[in-house]
Amino acid sequence: MTTSTIIQTIVALGIVAVALVYVLRRVFKTSRGQGDCGCGCGKNCKCKNKPGKEY
Amino acid sequence: MKCKKYMNTEQNKDNKTKTRLLDNEPVGSSVQVVRVMGEGAFRQRLLEMGFVRGAKVTVLKNAPLQDPVEYMIMGSHISLRHSEAAKVEVTDKDAEFCDLEDAFNGTVETTVAGVDPMSDNVLRVALIGNPNCGKTSLFNNVTGAKEKVGNYGGVTVDSKEGWFSVGGRKVQLVDLPGTYSLTEYSPEEMYVRTYIRDHHPDAILNIVDAGNLERNLYLTTQIMDMNIPLVVALNMWDELEKSGDKLDIEMLSRLLGARMVPMTAYNGHGVKEVLEATMAAIDESENETRHHNVNYGTLIEENIKQVSEMCPQLDRYTVLKIIENDQHALHLIDGQSNADQVKSTAAELRQAIERDYNDDIVSIITDLKYGFVRGALAEVLTPNPDRATGETKPGYSLDRLLTNRWLALPILLVLMWLMFEATFTLGAYPQEWIENGIGWIGEWIGKAMPEGILRDLIVDGIIGGVGGVLVFLPQILILFFFISLLEDSGYMARAAFIVDRIMHRVGLHGKSFIPYLIGFGCGVPAIMATRTLENHRDRIVTILTVPFMSCSARLPAYLLLVAAFFTAKQGLILMSIYLIGILVAALTAIVLSKTILKHDKTQFVMELPPYRKPTARNAIIHMWSKGKQYLQKMATIILAASIIVWALGYFPRHEGQTPQEQIENSYMGMMGKAIEPVVAPLGFNWQMGVSVLTGAAAKEIVVSTMGVLYTGEADATEESASLKEKLQTSTKPNGEPVFNPIVAYSFMLFILLYFPCIAALAAIKREAGTKWMVFEIFYTTVVAWLVSFIFYQIAILL
Repeated sequence: MTTSTIIQTIVALGIVAVALVYVLRRVFKTSRGQGDCGCGCGKNCKCKNKPGKEY
Repeated sequence: MKCKKYMNTEQNKDNKTKTRLLDNEPVGSSVQVVRVMGEGAFRQRLLEMGFVRGAKVTVLKNAPLQDPVEYMIMGSHISLRHSEAAKVEVTDKDAEFCDLEDAFNGTVETTVAGVDPMSDNVLRVALIGNPNCGKTSLFNNVTGAKEKVGNYGGVTVDSKEGWFSVGGRKVQLVDLPGTYSLTEYSPEEMYVRTYIRDHHPDAILNIVDAGNLERNLYLTTQIMDMNIPLVVALNMWDELEKSGDKLDIEMLSRLLGARMVPMTAYNGHGVKEVLEATMAAIDESENETRHHNVNYGTLIEENIKQVSEMCPQLDRYTVLKIIENDQHALHLIDGQSNADQVKSTAAELRQAIERDYNDDIVSIITDLKYGFVRGALAEVLTPNPDRATGETKPGYSLDRLLTNRWLALPILLVLMWLMFEATFTLGAYPQEWIENGIGWIGEWIGKAMPEGILRDLIVDGIIGGVGGVLVFLPQILILFFFISLLEDSGYMARAAFIVDRIMHRVGLHGKSFIPYLIGFGCGVPAIMATRTLENHRDRIVTILTVPFMSCSARLPAYLLLVAAFFTAKQGLILMSIYLIGILVAALTAIVLSKTILKHDKTQFVMELPPYRKPTARNAIIHMWSKGKQYLQKMATIILAASIIVWALGYFPRHEGQTPQEQIENSYMGMMGKAIEPVVAPLGFNWQMGVSVLTGAAAKEIVVSTMGVLYTGEADATEESASLKEKLQTSTKPNGEPVFNPIVAYSFMLFILLYFPCIAALAAIKREAGTKWMVFEIFYTTVVAWLVSFIFYQIAILL
């Protein structure tokens, strides 16, 4: 095994692990919705912290 | 008050006042409301929408399928089914009897002790108003948010919070769902009431449609009784000016005892003044303040005073509700030591009022409130003398065409077809550019990186998977552009009006059509939109059938398969998939509403808003917001899922195997082979079976999975071939093509009907409960399997 192959394997497996953790978190935390302000998920997630306009 | 004694039907007969039912009135006739019969939510809704004694109603037209009927009352267009109109007793428009203006007694004043608006460290302003009066437009304008707006009632179904600053002071603005009144009959009314009670906003910003003051100010009269600092924003002021009507704002402000400010929320005119007036009202409340309340006449005022003395902690609104026998208001005094005494006193007073007015308490109070509004408007509003009496206001002329008896249904179908055809054909050009770009990037990375697992991950997993979905971005944008036009123009409510009879036949409400249309975009907001349905069972049936409306996430799979395996009439084939979804939803609704969700038919009281020109800005904001979400999904869940699918197809490694053998012997291959017997009768191979499984996370992943799985099948010369070409050339071990039009259509049917994505399931759980979510998973999957099976088996025999 060359150094390049070892590095490639470590990086690739790291990416796969991160992806797996992300998907699992997403699946088990569905109730938080899509979370963007105005996304229609009904959670009003990011709107709450938007600074808004100055009058 | 000249005329407080009300005549019932018998007295009408004695007095030879001919009364009849609204249902029997011919199109074009104008009549006067005598009373609304029946009881409960439906009656209350009609009363609060203006069907009060003496109100003039014009019969405008029957829907294309003859039911429901469009009526004009107080300048608003309302649709009612024949069976519902039969509950409204009417008489000649010129018949003389008590007019509501006679009920105008002015206001009484209540003194409220000063409060410190910063007692909870937050200045909070609540936006309240009728549905579709522009609350969310103002909210977006002020807070910089991009909450969804549309030209129909019920777009906002829960509260949204945002912030703004005036003179260095930070204020929280809360956008509440639109409501016609603050009674206890519908979820949105209760939501707004509970919010005000629990959160005690420092001021209420009441948005009213300046072109429809009579109906809008009815809600204002209820808010006035809550004794909270109130500012009324007269929205759509530009339309009032255009109509030629004149309004004396100062006088109206004096009559109602609240600041009134003209405003046009969509372009921001007058918004600053509205906010300044709101801050001034909050500042005033720090000292002892006198609030104006509707004067209901000596008898009722005495009764309010009597109950108020027994419950000094309650505001006038709640006291009046206790007298009205409002159950939620009565619960508020449950813990009080004299609760039983209050309840019995309220009951006695209620009976006394009903005896005196010869009507029920709800009608009496509604009539008096409308009488107050009408009396006030008689003083301050001068209608354009050039407009004939009974003539519809501007903004409804398109109805001559769009809800025409013969043309309405064909136009609806053509608009739907146009939406899908444009999505398909217009989107194809940019799609090709993106496809070429992705192919080029894949090829370049393939050549630039040394051979190895990381290169395979990037080229086959990430570019193959995410790229396969990314190419459909233009189509998604076009679809949402069309949905935005339908929402902003006011056509959504017309579509509900046109199809109500059909929806009624399948046991649903015409209003269910709105969540269905939104469902073509995304199931999650569509499920949320069912909150506008008053009946719980209607809501559950709609929630369970909305996922059959094919969402935009499923679109990439159809576009891929239609483009690959159907050479002609691609738009029609795509539309047929959507129509089958509608058909299955209808059949499901019939079965559910006749079996486990059996219920009495629900009413169709719906307001038809005036048509408004959709603005390019709004359409682009809507498109951009959806496009951004699509890209965000691409960079998160679709990327992660593609990587996992790739890993499952890449491992375990076997030396000396061809790419196809490798993927067949991978973990993904093993999973696919395990489920192959279940999907084989539908014409699917194991790759297709695995694709639908991974689509549980998000439907776009069906395509990204195929993108990853079919990469392995490409030989050297096809390295840069698009996924479409790979599917076209994919063969079984015996050399037969995997896909043909029959298999592709069967696959599309399965994707259309099988269980919704996790986000939609979470929404179903939230709105309907776990039981219905589990039901939905099993039901949709069984339906999908059966429909695909029947189609495939019959099609291969023919």
